[in-house]
Amino acid sequence: MAARVLQQCVRSFARPSLRLCSGNLALRAAAAPVTALHRPLSSVADSRRTRWLDQSRISSVSVLCRHYGDLPPLTLETIKDRVMYVLKLYDKINPEKLQTGSHFMKDLGLDSLDQVEIIMAMEDEFGFEIPDAEAEKLMTPEEIVQYIADKKDVYE
Amino acid sequence: PNTVRAGMTVTRLPAAALSFKQFLQRQRVLGIYRNMLRTIRQVPDQADRKYLRDWARDEFKRNKSATDQDAIRMMITQANNHLEELQKSLALARS
Repeated sequence: MAARVLQQCVRSFARPSLRLCSGNLALRAAAAPVTALHRPLSSVADSRRTRWLDQSRISSVSVLCRHYGDLPPLTLETIKDRVMYVLKLYDKINPEKLQTGSHFMKDLGLDSLDQVEIIMAMEDEFGFEIPDAEAEKLMTPEEIVQYIADKKDVYE
Repeated sequence: PNTVRAGMTVTRLPAAALSFKQFLQRQRVLGIYRNMLRTIRQVPDQADRKYLRDWARDEFKRNKSATDQDAIRMMITQANNHLEELQKSLALARS
């Protein structure tokens, strides 16, 4: 890249009117991939472009730490919706038969292995671990919703 | 009539109820299944993860109707070996 810039500079000596312009272009091309890389990480750095080399590292770290901040607040209603959504995606449950009060084994015909898988899916969805002793007691969507609400301190 | 009544109070459980030993074994199997799925969740590649999850699922489902206690004990040992192996290779892949 540097060689090409030099070459262009040398070439443009012959036509001095063009020299500034082409040199500028080459420089901009060299800088473009770097700025493109940093742009999604540092909105702060963009506004202070003169200092972005110092800024980018700090701001990129702080942005990376804030990923989970934009989730909507949990309510009983949203928990219920997410639980039911996960259950509907589970291949062994018939979505038409599914109700908040239906028992996984008695009403939906699942076995204890399926129940374990369901609880694991809930852990994935809500991002926390459910201890084994409590996991095996959760037998209806309702109970799962109640359990998650308790753990997350949701009361309305 | 006395003995009958005594017998009825003792066997209030349904006929299909598990003995205490069977109950413990069942808990162990479910625990291993849970551990297995938790371990598989750490596999970095999505396709591998799906493959392993299906494999574990099939293997457990295939033997879910087994009743012979010794056979079940052997399968538990086997599952534990698989689990250990998987955890080892995961640790190696991470280091």
